[in-house]
Amino acid sequence: MKRLGCLLSVPLLLVVAVAFAGNATGRFDQKLSADKQIVHVLNRLTFGPRPGDAEQVRRLGVQKWIDLQLHPERVQENPVLESKLRPLETLKLAMWQIQEKYSPATPGRVIRPPAAQSILTPQQFGRLMNCSVEDRRTLLTPLRPEDRRVVLANVPPQVLEGLPEDWVQEAAKARQAEQEARQKEFRRLMPPLTDLLSPEEVRAAQRGTREEKMALLNSLDPEKRRQVLRVLPSEALSDLPDLRREAMAVRQPQELVNSDLIENKLYRAIYSNRQLEEVLADFWMNHFNVFNGKGQDRVLLTSFERDAIRPHVFGHFKDMLLATARHPAMLFYLDNWQSQAPRDDLPPPPAAAVGALRRPGINENYGRELMELHTMGVDGGYTQADVIAVARAFTGWTIFDLNKYAEFWFNPGMHDRKEKVVLGHRIPAGGGEGDGLEVIDILAHHPSTAKFISKKLAQRFVADDPPQRLVDRMTETFTNTDGDLRAVLQTMFGSPEFLSEGAWRSKLKSPLEVVVGAVRALNADVTDTSVLAQEIASLGQPLYGKVEPTGYPNTGELWANTAGILGRVNFATALTSGQVAGVRADLSRFNFKPPSAVAGELLGMAPSSAMLAAIEKGIQRQEATPSMLVTVVMSSPDFQRR
Amino acid sequence: MITRRYFLRASAIAAAGFGAAPSWLLRAAAQGESKWKILVAVFQRGAADGLNIVVPFFEKRYFELRPSIAVPAPGKNNGAIDLDGRFGLHPSLQLLKPFWDSGLLAIVHASGSPDPNRSHFEAQDYMESGTPGTVAEDGWLNRALPPATPNTSPVRAIAAGAKMPRTLRGNRGAVVVNDLEQFKVRNPNVAAIIEDLYATTTDAQLMAQGKGTFEAVKMIQSIERRPYSPVNGAQYSGELGRGLQQIARLIKGGVGVEAAFADVDGWDHHTNETPQLTGLLQQFGASLSAFVHDMGDRMEDIVLVTMSEFGRTVQEDGNGGTDHGHGNVMMVLGGPVRGGKVYGRWPGLEPEQLFEGRDLAVTTDFRDVLGELVSHHFGQKIDRVFPGYSPGEPLRLLKS
Repeated sequence: MKRLGCLLSVPLLLVVAVAFAGNATGRFDQKLSADKQIVHVLNRLTFGPRPGDAEQVRRLGVQKWIDLQLHPERVQENPVLESKLRPLETLKLAMWQIQEKYSPATPGRVIRPPAAQSILTPQQFGRLMNCSVEDRRTLLTPLRPEDRRVVLANVPPQVLEGLPEDWVQEAAKARQAEQEARQKEFRRLMPPLTDLLSPEEVRAAQRGTREEKMALLNSLDPEKRRQVLRVLPSEALSDLPDLRREAMAVRQPQELVNSDLIENKLYRAIYSNRQLEEVLADFWMNHFNVFNGKGQDRVLLTSFERDAIRPHVFGHFKDMLLATARHPAMLFYLDNWQSQAPRDDLPPPPAAAVGALRRPGINENYGRELMELHTMGVDGGYTQADVIAVARAFTGWTIFDLNKYAEFWFNPGMHDRKEKVVLGHRIPAGGGEGDGLEVIDILAHHPSTAKFISKKLAQRFVADDPPQRLVDRMTETFTNTDGDLRAVLQTMFGSPEFLSEGAWRSKLKSPLEVVVGAVRALNADVTDTSVLAQEIASLGQPLYGKVEPTGYPNTGELWANTAGILGRVNFATALTSGQVAGVRADLSRFNFKPPSAVAGELLGMAPSSAMLAAIEKGIQRQEATPSMLVTVVMSSPDFQRR
Repeated sequence: MITRRYFLRASAIAAAGFGAAPSWLLRAAAQGESKWKILVAVFQRGAADGLNIVVPFFEKRYFELRPSIAVPAPGKNNGAIDLDGRFGLHPSLQLLKPFWDSGLLAIVHASGSPDPNRSHFEAQDYMESGTPGTVAEDGWLNRALPPATPNTSPVRAIAAGAKMPRTLRGNRGAVVVNDLEQFKVRNPNVAAIIEDLYATTTDAQLMAQGKGTFEAVKMIQSIERRPYSPVNGAQYSGELGRGLQQIARLIKGGVGVEAAFADVDGWDHHTNETPQLTGLLQQFGASLSAFVHDMGDRMEDIVLVTMSEFGRTVQEDGNGGTDHGHGNVMMVLGGPVRGGKVYGRWPGLEPEQLFEGRDLAVTTDFRDVLGELVSHHFGQKIDRVFPGYSPGEPLRLLKS
């Protein structure tokens, strides 16, 4: 991507920037000290060091520890993680089982009042909203009073201005009656807590201790328990994961699938001993981003991560690419499942039949993003003609029964059988399903892909602007090993640039990294991740919630802004004051420790003198409690880097 | 010389340290604000389908190429709202029609970036940079601001949301405000220490952001306790409405807002476009309408402009949607606008008139539109904001 410097920098700033950039290249030649290396590899290959991690790396040696992380099967998994994941039963189900068991709840019946639109034509209604008082009167006078009432009950107040007082009053009455009827029906379908429980029970359910809440719910008969769980505000259950799951299953079963997936990600990030595998799962899920808010993707993502991404994070790029290309989650997200050969042989549908017949045709969405985002990169050297050719090659790659089984299906009837030319390769006519496989092969072996993937990995693990010579060596490994991702990582982690001053603390933590990193640094006990997930979302990174196929950027500029900094400061406060439900941090290990020791433990290194000076100055005015010191350190600029 | 604005800012910050700002300050601030010109940019991310937003219903080809998704002509069921006998608003934009009628709303059709890129992300970067074909580190709206001085408000430029959009990035000061109510340090006991940490860090990037953050916090706290409710029946709706409401509240708080940005996602309708676009446009129209009503007379000094990275194919695709195209539509709304007119040369929809044989051509560069706003409204030189660009024939969108 072509980049232009800040167009209107003050000359002085420009000089400084240039000097810094020149310096930075040199800094990638400067080797990190042995102590720094330990902190550095923990910051890059994990979601942040836990107490004791540094000693473990020191004992094993940096290179040996990296090698273990590259072979997760040799790392003993944390038994705590297994116990955390056990209740998340959707994680192990096949897609069809998830769909069968967690289909959307049938909505309750709610009375729909007769809409004003059924009385007036849309044109009349539109005119009513914009015309003069006289015209409004003319329009409304011929209506039967009961119809007029309905119309006027459904318009914004300014439309009522200037109309006869009795009309206005009638309208107000009609509006109120409608509202009451709706409320009554709603109350019948969804009785509020006060209809279900005594005042004392309501208090216990909403604000009681965990024990009180559990005792109350266990005392209810199954139907009432269901009704109570359905209307209990979710905050009331935020540290009762089992009940929260039960409530979700009652209210919106699909949400439970999504919530399990998020919990899985956070528990693994926090507790897994196979940290690099988790960092990579996050990296590749983001690379092949699928948005959890798009229809069925809510329930398809579980399998996408488990079956298409995770098995390949230390495997060959081409296998992951193919697995994502054939996965219903991706086929649905980027619309390929609907893309089909244009039928020039069919007559165009009559213009009168608006909304009825559609002329079949290709959908370019997947073809374009496949090259731009998944493989070659936007400057990789493809054209609009290639986008169309790739889209044609993938016609027929669709989904069998999206809402029930959601399996990959090649539908020959949708496939474009004609010849295609993709990036100079001729794909002969009549290739069928193989056309798509051939495109995957072309793209996986394209030199632009090797470069693009290598640079992106280097941006994630080394620096936002990684040295070209490192990217070149990684590209070479990628090409020589047929895209063996473990080999590419080995080249990167074994490079002098990775363990250099240029890479040291150059990365700004993403919201996920700063939140999980804080929890890990405090060795906090996590019994429910739902509020943590909300915190990450409000810092700008809703998990599985990136709408655009780009995923979140691997570089820092997006996260360094005013809302971001304030959000991070406030998260640290919430965490240390026990306000993040489901997370308990025992700060007693910081008792009677000086600020330098607290900061040293949390940052994994000696704090800067500027940092200590600011803290010392601040605590002259007030007593320094452990909670306050931890808040300050976790809010600091130093903690935002890794 | 101590300017009025500097005085207000310093007082507001001082006052914030001691609880609620005195009411005289707020009154003074509100009055002082009333003469400042404000530019609001709204970005429709995902490539909005301009041809279904402002419908060229006089074009037979429009209906031929969009058999299942064309918006019917005015007078037909769910038809477009006639503007000038040639173009019509999508029926979901009913709430914008009064602004057209009263001359507040201008349309610039077949507008957009001359760059042929059809990647959302690059095209957004180009448009937000204001430099088609390249990405600048700063955005056009940031460069449109006069250089920051000690007298400049810390909240002169506001992006509503959780992230800093490229449009506002740069060295002229801009802050991201997600939620005014939450824009404070929750633990006041540590606020001073943390502010100090950011002020003294050697981390230049975080130092700059930290400084902006804590100044903005104080400024916003000075108005935060002031009760606010939208006036003139304004009802904000959805993501965009939420953003515009934050902006409206800051403008009314008189804290020196000069530029603001809000965006709304979800315009990339490759499939099943009609219901999705209908819903999104309802939110879009309602939000713009609410903003104008809420601002009331203040609109005399405000111009709001909408844009999207590119348009969509003239021909519908195989799934009742449209693919990535080229030319699009922009709206310009506000007191200074010569509204009630569709600006720009209409290129036509015949095959030889289309860009690359498939898309609406761009006959008005988006920088011509934005350029007039930054020069007439902000008094900025166009080539400072859009380097290397020489504007086309003036549109004369604003009253001089």
